Amino acid sequence: MDPATIEFIGEKCMISIIPNFSNEPLHLIYGSVGPFRAGFPVFVPLWLAAHLRKQQKCRIVPPEWMELETLEEIKEEEKRSKFFTKMPSEHYMVVAQLVMSTAPDDVPRCEELRTVIKDIFDIRESKLRTSIDAFIKGEGTYAKLDNLTLLEMHSVRPILPYSLDHIARYQRMATASQRDTSMLGMNTTISGSGSGSGSMSNSYFTQ
Amino acid sequence: MSDTENPEQVLNEPDLSTEAAYANGFEDDDDEDAEPITAQKVLEILETAWTNEICAPELLQHQTDMLELMLSQVAHMEEQMKDLDKNDFRFVVHQMELERIRYIMASYLRCRLQKIETYTQHILNQEATRDAADKRLSPEEAKYAQDFASHVDEYFNKVATQYMPNQQRGEAEQRIVTPNLMSHVFLKANIAVSGVIVGVDDEEVDLAPGSQHIIPYQLVADLIHKNQAQLI
Amino acid sequence: MSRSNKMFGDKAFDLLKDLKRSSQTIPAFDDDGVRQVLEEIKAIFEENVAQASSYNSSGDRSLWPLLNYRHAALQRNKRCLLAYLYERMQRIKALRWEFGPIIPGDIKQALCEPEVQFFNNYSKSLAAYMRSVGDGQGIDLTGNLRPPKSLYIEVRCVEDYGKFELDDGEVVHLKKNSQHYLPRAQVETLVRQGILQHIA
Repeated sequence: MDPATIEFIGEKCMISIIPNFSNEPLHLIYGSVGPFRAGFPVFVPLWLAAHLRKQQKCRIVPPEWMELETLEEIKEEEKRSKFFTKMPSEHYMVVAQLVMSTAPDDVPRCEELRTVIKDIFDIRESKLRTSIDAFIKGEGTYAKLDNLTLLEMHSVRPILPYSLDHIARYQRMATASQRDTSMLGMNTTISGSGSGSGSMSNSYFTQ
Repeated sequence: MSDTENPEQVLNEPDLSTEAAYANGFEDDDDEDAEPITAQKVLEILETAWTNEICAPELLQHQTDMLELMLSQVAHMEEQMKDLDKNDFRFVVHQMELERIRYIMASYLRCRLQKIETYTQHILNQEATRDAADKRLSPEEAKYAQDFASHVDEYFNKVATQYMPNQQRGEAEQRIVTPNLMSHVFLKANIAVSGVIVGVDDEEVDLAPGSQHIIPYQLVADLIHKNQAQLI
Repeated sequence: MSRSNKMFGDKAFDLLKDLKRSSQTIPAFDDDGVRQVLEEIKAIFEENVAQASSYNSSGDRSLWPLLNYRHAALQRNKRCLLAYLYERMQRIKALRWEFGPIIPGDIKQALCEPEVQFFNNYSKSLAAYMRSVGDGQGIDLTGNLRPPKSLYIEVRCVEDYGKFELDDGEVVHLKKNSQHYLPRAQVETLVRQGILQHIA
């Protein structure tokens, strides 16, 4: 999944807006939204919120967690915790980026928020890198990834699954070439790679 | 969805009020006993099928029924929207949603075609061993796969293989490209699943609902198939 | 058999290297190269057949490594040649998605006849498939390539294109350097072909 796809999926998140127009409910295939009443908050999918905001038809109400103190706490907790902490939204990065880029004026202390969110993301990314390193060195083939968000998982995408796939392939080839020294030598058999699942000492993945 | 209205527009509900008509396109006339399925539910199923397909190394079960339903729903809504002013708020929002849905369907089918083109012979061989109910390819895809295989053969033969001496038996088989089923995937459990084998040494774990894992695809292919877990 | 400074399989490997190095969408089909590789394959094979029979009759074990070596060279030649054709086939398929059912003239010159034939077959199959999806309702898979961001996009015209009619009948004049705010879905193809440029 590329970043555009992850963003596309994240755009389904519901977010509160305050429209400056009134309209009866819309029956979308995803489900109904509205009624819209000028000045009253209503939940809509993020993609719709972004569109209406660009058309100046609403104000976006940032989600509760997009607030400096809350995010500072999350950041401290993330630093303290041995594992990945649970984020307030499965798509916190997508939501934050989209809201802050389409409606910076609707978000109090937008610039400061941007920094904290980036900090949280960086702390988590660095934990992730350490974990992957340990995971691969420990010859693991399985790990629990609780509390990682979609974007975070896929941010390591080229490295994590593919390097494991390569290692597994080498192991299979090594096994196969020991067994099969025939002239063509190309019949790599799918045999199990000889490695256990990840119980890693130096890892932030929950076990 | 968060509002108090019931978003589940049951599709064969005879509600033809202007807006609601957009969302109730399907009539289940070929199958009287079928549970009425909402457009929202169909979309959810397609979305899951789409992400599963993107993430799975092999071709998964086709979703012809769901696709047909959604295509007619989209066509129906377009029809309903024809008379609306292009700048009408409702037109724009519905149009945006349809764009999203069209993208999901197109991306999903493209992803399948890509796998069909990459693993053509392997997929055809496997299909030949499957019962009608377990076919992975839709009838249209099956035709496409057959045609594609013969176009490729023709091309290779005209340019090269016909001039190669002694096409040893088995060489054609060696050229069959197969997906790496042991490649690692990200998985999310939809329900509690116990006793999933996660390593070659038969180590087992229980998956809690909503838990996420990285694991070789083959060990969980069955869970995907049964919708007990999905790929992310 | 081969020139002294050349190894078996060099030519076949060159085919691949040239293809990889080329910055063109598809470099010209290397007719000569392909023929040389096929000749080398044939020559190696004939030599091996000849010696294999003497190996069988005389039982001279000293021939064994040579037979093996030639066999490996033969396999490598085949493999490189097929990889060359396969990679070209991938690029030819991509043309269909990028440019539609007609190959642009300058690219067509680079293809050999069986490749053009393959393109036409592929193009027809794909079109037939797209028409047949959903019990004949059809879906265009060559559009909607990226997740939709907004219905309208801001574009600049890179070259004079002329009149362009939108689905609602409105006609826009796409003149070089003119800027337009157009429905994304309808201009996606022009953007992909480089006639329009998406400006953020």
